[in-house]
Amino acid sequence: MPDPITFTIDGQEVAAKPGQTVLQAAIDAGVYIPYLCYFPTMKPYGACRVCVVEVETPSPQGPRKATLASCTAPVSKDMVVNTQPKHIAELRKGILDLLMTEHPHGCLTCHRIELCGSQDICLRHVRVNDRCVACPKNERCELKDTVRSAQLEMETPLQYHNRNLPIHVDDPFYDRDYNLCIVCARCVRVCEEVRVDSALSLISRSGRTIVGTSHGSSLLESGCEFCGACIDVCPTGALVERDYKWDKAVKSVNTVCPNCPVGCQVFMDVNKRNKVIRVRGDFAGAANMGMACFKGKFATDYPNHPGRVRYPMVRVEGQLQRTTWEQALERITVGLLKYKPAQVGVISSPRGTNEDHYVAQKLARVALKTNNVDSALNVVPELTESLQNVLGHPAATNSIWELEKSKAILVVSGNPTEEQNVLAVPIKKATRAGASLIVIDPRETELTRYAAHWLRPRPGTEVALLGAILRVVFEESLEDKNPGVNNAGGIGDLKQKLWDFDLVRISSVTGVPADAIRAAARAYGAVRPAAIVYGADTIGRADRANLVQAAANLAMATGNLGVRGGGLFPLYHGANTQGALDVGCTPSLLPGHRRIDRAEDRKRIAESWGVEVPSETGLGTNVMFEAMAGGQIKAAIVMADGIPPKSDLLGDVQAAVGNLEFLVVSDYVMSEIASQADVLLPAATYTEISGTYTNLERRVQLLRPGMALTGEERPGWQALAAIGQATGSAGFEFESSSSVLAELTGLVDVYKGITPERLADRSLQWPVWASDHAGTPVLYNEANESKPQFRAVTMTAMDAQPDREFPLLLAHGRVLQDPTRDVRITKADELNQLSRDEIVELHPEDARALGIAAGDLVDVRSRPRADGGSDLFTGIARLTSPHRGMIAITTLFASVASDVEHSQHPDPAPRVRGLPLRQVVVTKAPVAATAAD
Amino acid sequence: MTSGVTTAADTELRERIRRTLRSQKQRTITVLSSLLAVQHEIKYVPEVAIEETAHFIKGATINDVWSVASFYTNFRFTPPGDHTVEVCWGPSCHIKGAQHVLRAVQSELGLDREGETSDGKFTLRYNTCLGACAHAPVIAIDHVHHGRITPDSAVRHVKQARSKPAPGH
Ligand code: SF4
Ligand code: SF4
Ligand code: SF4
Ligand code: FES
Ligand code: FES
Repeated sequence: MPDPITFTIDGQEVAAKPGQTVLQAAIDAGVYIPYLCYFPTMKPYGACRVCVVEVETPSPQGPRKATLASCTAPVSKDMVVNTQPKHIAELRKGILDLLMTEHPHGCLTCHRIELCGSQDICLRHVRVNDRCVACPKNERCELKDTVRSAQLEMETPLQYHNRNLPIHVDDPFYDRDYNLCIVCARCVRVCEEVRVDSALSLISRSGRTIVGTSHGSSLLESGCEFCGACIDVCPTGALVERDYKWDKAVKSVNTVCPNCPVGCQVFMDVNKRNKVIRVRGDFAGAANMGMACFKGKFATDYPNHPGRVRYPMVRVEGQLQRTTWEQALERITVGLLKYKPAQVGVISSPRGTNEDHYVAQKLARVALKTNNVDSALNVVPELTESLQNVLGHPAATNSIWELEKSKAILVVSGNPTEEQNVLAVPIKKATRAGASLIVIDPRETELTRYAAHWLRPRPGTEVALLGAILRVVFEESLEDKNPGVNNAGGIGDLKQKLWDFDLVRISSVTGVPADAIRAAARAYGAVRPAAIVYGADTIGRADRANLVQAAANLAMATGNLGVRGGGLFPLYHGANTQGALDVGCTPSLLPGHRRIDRAEDRKRIAESWGVEVPSETGLGTNVMFEAMAGGQIKAAIVMADGIPPKSDLLGDVQAAVGNLEFLVVSDYVMSEIASQADVLLPAATYTEISGTYTNLERRVQLLRPGMALTGEERPGWQALAAIGQATGSAGFEFESSSSVLAELTGLVDVYKGITPERLADRSLQWPVWASDHAGTPVLYNEANESKPQFRAVTMTAMDAQPDREFPLLLAHGRVLQDPTRDVRITKADELNQLSRDEIVELHPEDARALGIAAGDLVDVRSRPRADGGSDLFTGIARLTSPHRGMIAITTLFASVASDVEHSQHPDPAPRVRGLPLRQVVVTKAPVAATAAD
Repeated sequence: MTSGVTTAADTELRERIRRTLRSQKQRTITVLSSLLAVQHEIKYVPEVAIEETAHFIKGATINDVWSVASFYTNFRFTPPGDHTVEVCWGPSCHIKGAQHVLRAVQSELGLDREGETSDGKFTLRYNTCLGACAHAPVIAIDHVHHGRITPDSAVRHVKQARSKPAPGH
């Protein structure tokens, strides 16, 4: 730590960190200097000049006085800063006066501002349109606070000039009224500097400069990812969320987004009618640094749905009828205990807390005596569980925002921009700072645009590429020279097996040129630290364990384990899938990552619970719904909580549960799944509960309730514990979610030091070994942790089964922007929607076989999806697909944004369709008279 | 799915712009140099040029490019007329009666400000000094100067230009 710099501010001696500006040091010291363009998470900008102060610096000729913008002036030793001398206050007023000329300010300079209601008669004849009460940001406006602090005169000498700019209200999710804009450029900067999107820019020059998009286009065209970051930093009412636009919050609660494993910390604003009206990223959130995404920010309305299930129901003569909890529980007990353990299953909520998941698995194992229990979105369990076999812990090794400091990042078969959005932010920032991004994916994704190396393998051969990259690492002697690596277990065998991965062979298997593989290997292997981020969007079940092993081998060989900025990050689904795994809510693991198939592990849990733990491995989500459809599972508890009835990830859940003899559902609305229940329990949503989530980087975070429960809804753990008690089993007498947490931290060693009190203060990354242990941002950097082992990867044969009806594989990609093609904006429900000509990339040989020439209009139709629909595209053929048998289409993210905006469903986030490979058939389109040319 | 957004003319324009962007010879290629190259080649910066430049310059978006383009008043975003008429109204020309010349040219072109005639034949621009004060008042048609001009001779020159093809064609 370099020495702090001492200086004086308003007579008070203060210590600043080297490199801090006067403003930053003042904020840290609790001295208020007004500012508008500065924002704590961004670089100083120096545009508004509101932050002027008087600065005296010592010099040999005596102290030098200057008037400086404190946001750009670095602190120096023995500096004397005065924030309030009369001439500075006057100067600041003058600056604000000028600023106010283009912002309606009748109310800002009026002493009655706090007293005026929306219907009051204005004593000063301020036009209704120009009043603060007519602004959606009223009462939470940063500009107002700043102006008030400067105590402007009621009558400013300058006249208000209304710019009369058009208000943009037809893009998804938020409105833009630049008549209220003070051109602080915070939005432009957050979009460029933090999100690396530049979907907004400063347009035009001098006095006419204003924020906008190219040619005033829709945000759908401008490359916006609808993350809402610009809204969250805007100090005025210029940018405002459209839903509940005019609603005022009566409280704002710090909690965690329930939509993906990033676990963004957010503030949830609740109005006086007990509705969640707004979600804002928390800039103190360590997992997200204030960021959020289209799902977390805008698809958050579902707890307010008027159709909430408020009381338990049972099926009587085919109809669901209201009942009491007691009767519902009785019916559940009788219904479930009829079946053999192998015939029952428990699906824990896709948004369940650690406490919910813990009680779910305990219920399954203790009361129902089965290991058929899993969390609903644990659909790629191999991605984490294989890490346990390879390295010791079944979790990402490092922290998300360390990626910002990585020198190289390898992303395999994942699309974080849409699925784990905020994780893509540090990746994009890293590339701008010069890191090389290597993407292995047959699909074009948002990240391929930032990639220095985009390897586009034949689908199903991704793992072979990783093997080849490792081979180049050893061939070119790029491996870590630490003896620990050279003597690690399995290294000999590994090097031996790498002979299989010679570049000529792998190049022909994968269809990626050898030079490109070599270049990518160098980009990853030649710099430290380098990280690997891997998903399984295009990788089949059989290959996933291999994928993890290959990625781990690569990270180990290059010395990227146990170092900041290195490591491995699995990309899976579900907000708390990690937590579910940690607390044993999976068919193969018990609490604390103990293994079902190990007797001593079962014994440890059995001792604590006081009952035998069933020993046969159960069915996971992946197969449980299939087993329901197949009749092996006859009765189940499904904590539905937003599970889509039919989806690519989970298949046809609706049909599966329809086939059960006895179904218990806990849900918050009468969903397609709930309506089939024999017993339906009213569920609380994430806005109404306390509990903990564990995110992708092992960060345990606290959920806090913002909305009050108005009916008989119960949080998952409570409903499940009540079922446990009703079955007559002991060990379900939990009083609160904290008492569940207390029990589970006793069994999950890596959670040992976690308490609700500590979490209230800050989130903690496991392992947290003791109540005074600060947690572990980076795994495997301590001597006492198990030393990893290399294990050779075998190349699996591609199991591409040619299909007569749908002979080609579609690699559907999606990107934020593609300026090379014209788009058209049309209106649907008064909102912008975008369409354009699609381009269908075909391999020349496939095209020839189909009688298709470049430029032909072709139809693409997929095998029916799990949700019943088909993907249908019409596009212009181009013979540029790199692989026989693969076609590729890249659509725009804008379509996802408008789908979410236009969705009639109360809970659209879980229904956003990912981009799995699809089997398709391509035919020449009938020549339409209106076709191009 | 819709089709037919893109026409053959669009595609051709994009191709021409791509060629222009690629054929920049200087070592440092920026958004600004690219926009200048396009304006030089096409005579204005059409919307697709903003898009193509964003694609051409790594890391830029259409909004970044438009930010630069809209900052400089020298860029024009609509096609110019076939012929350019510049009327000087700098101090020397002003003293020598530029306002009468301007009024005559305006009425000949049917314009009351700078801009294009409705038939796309002419662009009228004002100039603050064409650099030939000794010959004031001065006009320039397609960058050819005409000095000691009168309202009548100015109109005659404009009429002559009307019958000629656009320069560079
Ligand atoms: S919402 Fe769009 S414009 Fe705003 S910061 Fe995010 S990407 Fe940029
Ligand atoms: S829209 Fe808001 S954040 Fe953006 S420049 Fe205007 S006032 Fe600042
Ligand atoms: S990135 Fe994930 S956790 Fe963050 S707001 Fe989006 S969905 Fe929620
Ligand atoms: S905050 Fe310092 S200039 Fe705007
Ligand atoms: S003022 Fe007209 S040419 Fe100089």
